[in-house]
Amino acid sequence: MRPVAVELLRPVARTMPWRAVGAAGVLGLLLAAAPRLTGDQADGWYALTVLRASALAFALGAAFALDDPARHTTAAVPTRRAVRHGLRVLLVVPVAAVWWTAALLLVPAPVRPPVAGITVEAATALALALAGAALAVHRGDGARPGRAVAGGLLAGAVLGPLFAPGHWALFVPPDDERWAAAHDRWAVLLCAAVAVAVVCATEPRRRLGRRGLRSPSGTSGPSRA
Amino acid sequence: MTAATETPAAVTAVPRASGAAVIALARFETRRLLLRAPVLAAFAVYIGWTVWRTRTSWDGFPALQDADRATQGGPLLVGLAVLFCANHAVLRSRRHDTDRHLDVLVVQPWRRTVAHLLSVAAAALLTGVCVAGQFTWEALKPGAVGHGSPGELLAGPLSVLVLGTIGVLLARLLTSPFAAPLLIVLLFFLHTVATAPDNGHTVRWLVLTVGENTATTLPSDLLGRPAAWHALYLTGLALTAALLAVLVSGGARLRTVRAGVVGAVALTLVGAVAQGQGVSRETTEARVRASAAPEKEQKCAERDGTTYCVFPEWTVRTDDWAEAVAGVRSLAGGAARDRPLLVRQRIEARYGLDGDAAIAPATRPGQVTVGTAWGGNRVPEFTAAVAGVLVAGTEAKAGAMCDGRMVTVMWMALAGRPDPVADLRRVRLDDSDRGSAIVLSQTEPLRMTAAQTELVRELLRRPEREVAAKVKAEWAGLTAPKVTSDQVAALLGLDEPEEKDECL
Repeated sequence: MRPVAVELLRPVARTMPWRAVGAAGVLGLLLAAAPRLTGDQADGWYALTVLRASALAFALGAAFALDDPARHTTAAVPTRRAVRHGLRVLLVVPVAAVWWTAALLLVPAPVRPPVAGITVEAATALALALAGAALAVHRGDGARPGRAVAGGLLAGAVLGPLFAPGHWALFVPPDDERWAAAHDRWAVLLCAAVAVAVVCATEPRRRLGRRGLRSPSGTSGPSRA
Repeated sequence: MTAATETPAAVTAVPRASGAAVIALARFETRRLLLRAPVLAAFAVYIGWTVWRTRTSWDGFPALQDADRATQGGPLLVGLAVLFCANHAVLRSRRHDTDRHLDVLVVQPWRRTVAHLLSVAAAALLTGVCVAGQFTWEALKPGAVGHGSPGELLAGPLSVLVLGTIGVLLARLLTSPFAAPLLIVLLFFLHTVATAPDNGHTVRWLVLTVGENTATTLPSDLLGRPAAWHALYLTGLALTAALLAVLVSGGARLRTVRAGVVGAVALTLVGAVAQGQGVSRETTEARVRASAAPEKEQKCAERDGTTYCVFPEWTVRTDDWAEAVAGVRSLAGGAARDRPLLVRQRIEARYGLDGDAAIAPATRPGQVTVGTAWGGNRVPEFTAAVAGVLVAGTEAKAGAMCDGRMVTVMWMALAGRPDPVADLRRVRLDDSDRGSAIVLSQTEPLRMTAAQTELVRELLRRPEREVAAKVKAEWAGLTAPKVTSDQVAALLGLDEPEEKDECL
């Protein structure tokens, strides 16, 4: 008998919100293709802007990855949430990797920002989206937290560059001397987002005292039995 | 007969009832929209940030033709939140699967769209109140000069309206919940690309709000910004999006809506074309006149032996300048004390707002240049220029000066200031109070050697009255050309400076 996770792969793949991921991916690729379309005018700053916008677009699509209209039903199955979430993430990550490679290749090589650095930024955006979704599922009761998470991520992307302290220097151009240090900070942020996502993939403790025996969605005491 | 009189009554009664329903729905939607977390947060951040910045903006001396433009950035944040939430609100009935219930009511989908659009308009109105508050605050500051432009002030609230109506339209076109966030990314990207510095005038003005990357202040009639046309363009955009939203939600049968869409598109095009025309010939000529021969445009006034010739919008600032000049003059000795001065306001407007061109120093004896900004660092810069002219005779000579007279100039410029050593650091390019440095000015910068800096610091530490008496007594020696720093130190009874006495 095959493990449950393998058995679950196909049904989970079928219920994934591929339209959101697809639309975000297409928009991201269109943005990434912009420097090629505008011809000679493209410069390093422009290429960096399109790659950041495109990474954000994909992350917004990925924020919907944990949207599951059947969550209230599947909450009661014996398979743990970590497995169900893990499968969804497992399905998104290869798509993201292929998509990001395509986006990078679409930007002309002479103006392309350092690949490692910009990839860390894109990975952080994706991790923040998935961690946000996992947190929303962990703390909330909704079946589709994607929209709120996307809104939060968007707010972060808008307000971050405006209000982040200047010495954090997260959004720097490649010719800035702080580029390397900035990407160490991006890497720390990435690790923090992954940690949050992992912690939130566990089942919350049964809230017996406050909610009595009524189990909120996602809480599945019996599965641990 | 009876039937003929009753029929019109029935016809007029129905729109009135649905009109009231739309109003009621709009009130409900407005309350929901304004109380949504993203909108509340956006307003909180916008108002907080605006209040924080307006407290100290332009060092308390705003030019209102700059202050009106400064109201445009914050509303974009509110606009994005309104786009997001209005989109969400229109999709609410679909999300909760209540479309079927609503369909049996008398309020048709297009009327519900109108209610959503009205809620967006209410958010824009609230933004307008915030913008008006910010501008009024600037205008009431005692140091305010110039004139604001209604077109510039309208840009902020109209941006909110445009973004909100786009949100409603988007919800009527695409029912996916991920459409709005992706659209925002797209708008952001388009905004960034369109406002890139190397873009032409026409493309730059197609975005919602157009900033100027400059610290230059020009008289309001030389700005050359098509603010009124831009407001028309934004109005056209908002109307187009709003009427299209009504159209696609079942209002297509209404002839007025179809005509309205055509009219709104025409309005947008007129605005877009008119704002892309660039700076008009009259403005260009006026800019040349104001830059090359400002005396023809300016009004002159006299205060205590000094004539102030300034552009009409700045006449209210004459007293501030007169106070600074009187402070410097009172410290001078000999003939310089009564030397007639001409303070002339000069600008370089030929290259527009973002052309930060330098102004050549005046060569006329006794003429001092003053700029359009005041407060903060501009005050010690101006007093340094006044002191330079009192000592060296002209601005050009003061700029070329490289001897011990600089000690007297800098002491006179700073001694009357509340915190002279802090001001010394501020007028120096590298913000230092030791070593040699360039001293900023409205025109040619002045130069201080390390030895002169040491002497000025020492003088500023001593009581002002004591030093003033010595300076007046030794005025002829202190202001003799080619006097060395060692000689100046001896005349003022200071120790010989230890640091180097070489100009940069």
